Amino acid sequence: MSLLEVKNVTKRFSGLVAVNEVSMNVEEGQIVGVIGPNGAGKTTLFNCIAGALPPSSGSILFDGREVAGKKPYDICQLGITRTFQVVKPFGSKTVLYNTMVGAFAQTKLLHEAEHNALEVLKFLHLDHKKDVVSKSLTLPERKKLELARALATKPKLLLLDEVMAGLRPSEVTDMLPIIRKINETGVTIVIVEHIMQAIMNLSEKIYVVNFGKKIAEGVPHDVVANEEVIKAYLGDAYVATQH
Amino acid sequence: MKQLLNQKPIILLISALLLGALFALPLVVTSPALMQIFILIILYAYFTSTWNFVGGFAGVLPLGHSAFIGIGAYTSTVLFQTFGLSPWFGMIVGGLLAALVGVIIGLPTLKLRGAYFALATIAIGEGMRVLFENVKQVGPFKINGPSGISLQLVESSFMDFQFDTKAPYYYIILIMLLLVLLLTYFMMNSKIGYYLAAGGEEPEAAEALGIKVARYKLIALVISCFLAAFGGTFYAQLMLYFYPKSILGLDLSFEIAFIALIGGRGTILGPVLGALLLRPVSELTRIYLGSSLPGLHLIIFGLVLIVVMRYYPTGLVDPIKKLIDRFIHKPAREKADDLSNPS
Amino acid sequence: MLGIIEALINGLLMGSIYGLTAVGLTLIFGVMKVINFAHGSILMVGMFAAYWFVKLTGLNPYLAILVVVPLLYYFGYFMQNWVIKPIFEAEKDVREPITVIIVTTGIWYVLDNLSLLLFGAEYRVVKTSVTGKIFEFYDMYFLLPKVIGAGITILCAIYLYWFLKHSKMGKAIRATSLDREAASLMGIKQSKIYNIAFGMGCACCGVAACVLIPFYYVYPTVGVPFDIKAFIIVVLGGLGSIPGAIIGGIIVGIIENVGAQFMASTWTELLLYGVFLFVLLVKPSGLFGMKQDF
Repeated sequence: MSLLEVKNVTKRFSGLVAVNEVSMNVEEGQIVGVIGPNGAGKTTLFNCIAGALPPSSGSILFDGREVAGKKPYDICQLGITRTFQVVKPFGSKTVLYNTMVGAFAQTKLLHEAEHNALEVLKFLHLDHKKDVVSKSLTLPERKKLELARALATKPKLLLLDEVMAGLRPSEVTDMLPIIRKINETGVTIVIVEHIMQAIMNLSEKIYVVNFGKKIAEGVPHDVVANEEVIKAYLGDAYVATQH
Repeated sequence: MKQLLNQKPIILLISALLLGALFALPLVVTSPALMQIFILIILYAYFTSTWNFVGGFAGVLPLGHSAFIGIGAYTSTVLFQTFGLSPWFGMIVGGLLAALVGVIIGLPTLKLRGAYFALATIAIGEGMRVLFENVKQVGPFKINGPSGISLQLVESSFMDFQFDTKAPYYYIILIMLLLVLLLTYFMMNSKIGYYLAAGGEEPEAAEALGIKVARYKLIALVISCFLAAFGGTFYAQLMLYFYPKSILGLDLSFEIAFIALIGGRGTILGPVLGALLLRPVSELTRIYLGSSLPGLHLIIFGLVLIVVMRYYPTGLVDPIKKLIDRFIHKPAREKADDLSNPS
Repeated sequence: MLGIIEALINGLLMGSIYGLTAVGLTLIFGVMKVINFAHGSILMVGMFAAYWFVKLTGLNPYLAILVVVPLLYYFGYFMQNWVIKPIFEAEKDVREPITVIIVTTGIWYVLDNLSLLLFGAEYRVVKTSVTGKIFEFYDMYFLLPKVIGAGITILCAIYLYWFLKHSKMGKAIRATSLDREAASLMGIKQSKIYNIAFGMGCACCGVAACVLIPFYYVYPTVGVPFDIKAFIIVVLGGLGSIPGAIIGGIIVGIIENVGAQFMASTWTELLLYGVFLFVLLVKPSGLFGMKQDF
């Protein structure tokens, strides 16, 4: 049985179909990538899985349990935690405070939450910033904090929404081993990106969506060779360069 | 508790001295009028501290806190007048009633944008005043509409919550305030405090981390209403006379919110600081200028609020704390400067 | 029966004036997502301005519109620019701008008590050429200034609606209220739009103030009941919706006037609070509220 099973999920916004009959399977321990050009519906798909938006139809099974239409906090308690593309730190609070908010998902006790949060921060090499107020962090640090907070909830499945967007290439190369390291601790990861390279060497399996529809799936090597994917990506890229 | 005591010795010493001075105050101050001013400062600090549970930590702006204070005053008083029930019990009943009203307002509004909550609380505060002004009697309970209630005078006794001198009132409200501050401290340093702060600041991110934001806000509101009503009972027993305009309605609600914002909402000592700053202004202008320049103290309130929000949007606790820190650690001053001004 | 129809029409007349003040409130909210708690005080300022205009010049009260409306527009414009903007900017990333809300309450306090200090607490009336005149219609009697006032406010509301839909500035205002960032990417200067929206919101109060003067008392806290009613109206009609504010205003006016046929006026006030709570419980987005504004 797959850890996450998305079956024919559709999301409509008054007339516009943002996600159209998308299905995907994520096995335990995998890193799965979801790619597609901007506006392809990746984040909407994510929002459906994480509960921020109820899907219009279709089903989402996590650990064999239906989670479609459940609230974000219930889904988080079941073991799925997501990060946001536009990072949303609790700006007036310190890095440690932010991470402890995540850690409280597993405990009621202050010292235990603090202990677990510090561990996560150490793991992500963010512990030297623990007393810094989060709104004064740099973008890569904020992205890391977003990760730390999500990890502190001890999720079985981590949904990463463009954690690398906005980072410089050198910062992206810093981020990749971190994500791999998280996966090695047993956390299954679904990662959404629109930069292909970043996701290529991370993911075991890739889903490609365009205009809300899944156009390809498979191992990275096959997916890049897929004609439709090339068309979607290069076509889009050409249009983008013309602007 | 361990954390509470885990402070620098000098701070502990100063706090202990301050507490000692507070408890010794009635031994030194003999003028009942002056005592009354001290009692009112502490009472307003108490009101504002109960406000702080919602307004400070849950990230919404309650502008009708007087409704809950009024419920407390009316409940304990009518129960005392009608059945001779000790106001101490009436206080609990009032607290429960206030909490119930809090749930009724909070359930629909706390899920919405904060503006709805602010509007709903204003309407509740005013609605409650109009209601009490319109009603002369409910069943056996006389509430006398706009003319209000004079408490039946009895002999000074703890059970009846009436005393000949000011000192007992002073100690009661001082202990009530200290207990609420202690509760605030424990809440801030617990899961519920973290969850409230998170939900107040970024509700979407908080929900993604497993927090039922609306429910935690509701819990905070219930605690706040319950304790605010206690303050209402205290007010009734202290004044022995109150009427809808004095204890319900906008003026009291706004004064509480102003005290909180000027002192520093969401901090433990903000309400105390705010009350210390604003209450004397209000008492002094009322005593000396009340007849010649009506409303002057309210203009001062408004202006102070606007100026403080402009330059210290988080309230005056932070800048004052920094000032005190400097005073205590004079030798380490330069180092502290380096830390507080990261380039 | 005739009495009830008369009350109904009276409610409609008064309600449209309430509606216009609420339009100002909802316009400011729509653009800035801030409730201007000083709205009633702005109305009070407008009423005093109109009062002194008529008292000192002896001119027709409706001519005061030409003076009071620009006055309040710039009053609002500069109040936003000098007092509210710096605080708003500091808080613009915050989802719930509490500091700004409380500052508008501070402005309310300052304005109301300043006018208490300047003009005293007494109720003032000014005798104008229309004061006390009666308008007769099928055996029903209405105060002429109420009828004229309602006519002017309805015209104003229609003009404002047209302005927002079709003029360039109106489109910029609507774009800003829908999506601040996108609008500023399109080259719309946000702080200017905020100033203008605030000014226009206050100008609505100016119109309402001038049409109220011939038949209503002026006193320092005259704004408070209007303020509270405007709050009820915007929730009833849906925060941010202009037609909602007008219709909400009319509903409130009708409840108040028809209710007064059956109960004491203080009870109708209570009835309004009841309706308000009911709407909050049953349909918090109001009659015309947009869902994303939650």
